[in-house]
Amino acid sequence: MIRLRSVGKRYGGRTLFERLDLDLVPGKTTVIMGPSGSGKSTLLRICNQLERHDAGVVSVEPIEIPAGLPEREWQRRATALRRRTGMVFQGYQLFPHLSVIDNVTLAPRFVRGVQRAVAEARAKELLELVGMAAAVDRFPARLSGGESQRVAIARALATEPEVLLLDEPTSALDPTSTEGVVQVIRDLRRRGFTLAMVTHDPDLGRSLADHLIELPQAARC
Amino acid sequence: MFIHILLRIRLVDPASEAKSLHRRAVAVGHHAPMLRVLACLAFSAAAVAQLPLPQRYRDAGVLRWASDAEGGAPFVFLDPARPELGEIGFEVEIADELGKMLGIAMRRVQAPFANLVQTLERDDCDFAMNGLEPTDARRVQVRFTRPYYVFQQQLSVAPGTTGVRTLADLAGKRVGALGESQSHKLLLAHPGIETVVYESSTTAYEDVLNGRTVAALADLPIARGLRPLYPRLVDVGEPFGEDYYVIAVRMDGADLQAVLDEAVGTLIANGTLERIYRKWNLWVPAEARLAEPEVVRKVRDGKAAEGAGEIAWGPAMASLGKAALVTFGISVASFALAVVVGLCIALVRLHGPLPLRWCAVGYVEMLRGTPILVQLLLLYYGLGSIGWLREMAPFAWVFKTDDYTAVRISILGLALNYSAYEAEIYRGALLAIPRGQREAAQALGLTTAQSLRHVIVPQALRLSLAPSTNDFIALFKDSSIVMVITVVELTKQYQMLANASGRFIVLGFVTCGLYLCMSLPLAFAARRFERRLDKDRA
Repeated sequence: MIRLRSVGKRYGGRTLFERLDLDLVPGKTTVIMGPSGSGKSTLLRICNQLERHDAGVVSVEPIEIPAGLPEREWQRRATALRRRTGMVFQGYQLFPHLSVIDNVTLAPRFVRGVQRAVAEARAKELLELVGMAAAVDRFPARLSGGESQRVAIARALATEPEVLLLDEPTSALDPTSTEGVVQVIRDLRRRGFTLAMVTHDPDLGRSLADHLIELPQAARC
Repeated sequence: MFIHILLRIRLVDPASEAKSLHRRAVAVGHHAPMLRVLACLAFSAAAVAQLPLPQRYRDAGVLRWASDAEGGAPFVFLDPARPELGEIGFEVEIADELGKMLGIAMRRVQAPFANLVQTLERDDCDFAMNGLEPTDARRVQVRFTRPYYVFQQQLSVAPGTTGVRTLADLAGKRVGALGESQSHKLLLAHPGIETVVYESSTTAYEDVLNGRTVAALADLPIARGLRPLYPRLVDVGEPFGEDYYVIAVRMDGADLQAVLDEAVGTLIANGTLERIYRKWNLWVPAEARLAEPEVVRKVRDGKAAEGAGEIAWGPAMASLGKAALVTFGISVASFALAVVVGLCIALVRLHGPLPLRWCAVGYVEMLRGTPILVQLLLLYYGLGSIGWLREMAPFAWVFKTDDYTAVRISILGLALNYSAYEAEIYRGALLAIPRGQREAAQALGLTTAQSLRHVIVPQALRLSLAPSTNDFIALFKDSSIVMVITVVELTKQYQMLANASGRFIVLGFVTCGLYLCMSLPLAFAARRFERRLDKDRA
């Protein structure tokens, strides 16, 4: 379980949040909402340390990342933490030089040391789960937005993360594509995955949330 | 009549010739007033009596003579100890004397020795005087004057070399000579000797001392002129052979040839040349033959041997093909190395610790900001001659002395230079990869090194494909510069064949064709690969 204790973050002269506590409870879906600039994406990125926090502690047993660690030590612990989380970005961020199957098998093969054949078999299962089984050999440039995001979800799941972080996964999609992606997220939720999602869509957020966090507008100092 | 009489002036003794002219002028009654004036002028200017230079040169106000000052002692050179003297040398003094005699300013034109004849043919100068020998190949391209110097050949070796006294002792050994010189031709006439061609005599001597060649063969004036620079070299055996230095003029310059020929004859007869040669320690007894009519006739009026200037196309094409392979090998090997080194430098510059980043910046700026020619000369003749460096790994493998030393140093030099350019291309490409890609890789748990290896660098290499291909094609052409460190690649082979045969156009097209055969497929392949990538991206 990812746990944030007394976490604070300042950004561009503003305090986004301070002394914030958050537990991403296993098997539950946590939805983070708030107005633009409230720091909801930053909070999600602090959960997997793509963003460093200024105060408090982020932990995933037994890894503890207090604020202010020396760079090299922070890198080491952050990499270990990231290996236990999955992240889906608003802009998909598929690797354009790799085919769909290679995108999904990259982390299992090179981070977890899984053999190629095993990784590919698992990747095909995941692509089936997100409805992209027919696209294994296609390149990202040949996918629609919704297809790309579903592949991105499969890629994040391929590392068998303890929690899947979704940063506005539907905000760049048209309604039809959004429906397909939301369907995949509902399916994951039903299967008991631990999810944390940032969204600016209140209806979607409320319909998915087991826990709902609403961040206020950040205060300028 | 005026011209006719002037042309008959022999300047052996200007004063007596002027008196004779005066007598003749008196005999030609109807031209008496004008010739009387002329005779008076001749009397008063007897010490610097002038030859009638053709009018077009007088109109130009200056007579341009071509020579090569590189490694030019004692011909034409700058004395590093006394640069204020300007260019000096025995040929500079001869040119000055000719200028006085012709009553015109002389201006030296710098031209590579191997291309003196072409410089003349292109009308970039009026005559060439730089230790040119009257070879058959040149005889079909230009006119010669009578010889102004009789020269012999001198063999020089490094101290401690034993068993070398004549060319016969050098079978199977590497011997250096100035390209397109008589020494070069003499060595080629001994097929058992492995001839190494140099752009200058100084570099030929450097390599003897570096142990890359066993001996260097040079004209005696060169050997004597450069001896102060290379006091450790040992001249072995007696000077041998006999050939001549002549002045060359264009085929359509018969009038200038006649005037210069006459002027040289005067300098020989009045002892001016002997005085100059003694001053420069170049006087040898053989110089007495300069005045022999038989020598004058043989050299000036000789005919080119049957087949001179002809070219055996089969062997010529084969030698160009072989040289193209050398160019291809050097280009491919050096570019492969440049890509690897350039990528490492770019990665260090972006991701390395601060001191290493500064080192990478220094590396790029130093290699980009200095000429590749200087870098190659520095590597080959400078660093390559430092004993301890030559023995230090990994330089030992590069600098060790064998038949391929120059090729290895060429590959290293080109690779180092191009790696600086490649590093900047890759740095730009790496910076162009969106930040989200790096974050996505990090989010998957990849380390920085894994992110670079599997995500960032492959994309950056694709972005840099077009500029890199451009650099590779440029390298194919730039590789010709390695001729300065004795590598006979395609351009050098072309230069040698063209100089020997005068077939610059045909051989030039063949050479360009060979370069295109190497670079076009590469350009097509790169374009095809780019199209394939675009298809993936679209």
